[in-house]
Amino acid sequence: MMIVFTILTYFLYLFSKKVYGKIPFPIFQPLLLAPILLIMLITIMHVSANQYLEDAKWLSHMLGPATIAFAVPIYKHFSTIKKYMVTILISITTGTLVAIFSTYLLSKLIHLNSDFLISILPRSITTPIAIEVSKEIGGLPTLTTVFVIITGVMGGVVGPAVLKWLSIKTPIAKGLALGMGAHGVGTNKAMEYGKQEEVFSSIAMIFAAFITLGWGTLFILFI
Amino acid sequence: MLKIGVIILQVCFLHVFLFLGMALKHILPLPIPASMFGLFLLFLALYCKVIKLEWVEQGAKWLMAELLLFFIPSAVGIVNYEQIISIQGLEIVVLIAISTMIVMGMTAITAERILARKRSERH
Repeated sequence: MMIVFTILTYFLYLFSKKVYGKIPFPIFQPLLLAPILLIMLITIMHVSANQYLEDAKWLSHMLGPATIAFAVPIYKHFSTIKKYMVTILISITTGTLVAIFSTYLLSKLIHLNSDFLISILPRSITTPIAIEVSKEIGGLPTLTTVFVIITGVMGGVVGPAVLKWLSIKTPIAKGLALGMGAHGVGTNKAMEYGKQEEVFSSIAMIFAAFITLGWGTLFILFI
Repeated sequence: MLKIGVIILQVCFLHVFLFLGMALKHILPLPIPASMFGLFLLFLALYCKVIKLEWVEQGAKWLMAELLLFFIPSAVGIVNYEQIISIQGLEIVVLIAISTMIVMGMTAITAERILARKRSERH
């Protein structure tokens, strides 16, 4: 069975990418369309989600090497990073604080229970680090993963609209915003804009992860 | 066909850094995931010219381009959280959408202000 679901996931992913390429509506983005089709399919086939996850787990495992791969754009554009270090640090520090506090306040507003509230706080950073932060502050890692995914999906939907409304012009600001707001999925989106957006989005993703990890540690030490 | 072979080989090679990252995590008791240690080690290896960019470039490019594929199983796993979906699902999705808009907006505005100031200082 193992190969079947992995191959099926891959083909539905390719299919979704093709559909999204032809009709670029937010609801057709691969991270939304492919899972919906897969959920429908496993429901029809009477396969449980856990069985599916067990079979397709090595696809999730690839997130590890994929995170490591981001060292390549950082290395290639190291001189640019050094040149814009202040801009990157200030805007990403701002971004992480806005992410944590806006999530906290909105969660309070909808009376989210405390398990959910803690697990949702690190939602805007890349999965492996979000899981670490979640563990640190006493959240549930699996729940955090769900929120990270929803953030990715929503980031792909609202990101381009926000940049357009605010008429953000510089590729650097666009890239930083996408990577900060929606981690790897935002960076994937940034690729559609251009090279500089992609580079700054990868940078934002990594800085956001480390800075949030730092906030997590401070949180434990002082609260 | 040759290109696929190169990609597979390089993705395997990137796993070396994942294992090194795991080893480092074992030694250093920091709350940093193995993949982040791996990222750091790969960067150092490239920077100190221990390995050549060509050894990893194709594989890394593929992994980053197909990143969404690796998120799909976790996205399917959301069905396991019926509680979220049935009770507060919509509220949470709206919360995340609004918060993400604020985060992206604030980050972009901050970055653009700093860049504008830099530019005006130079003139």
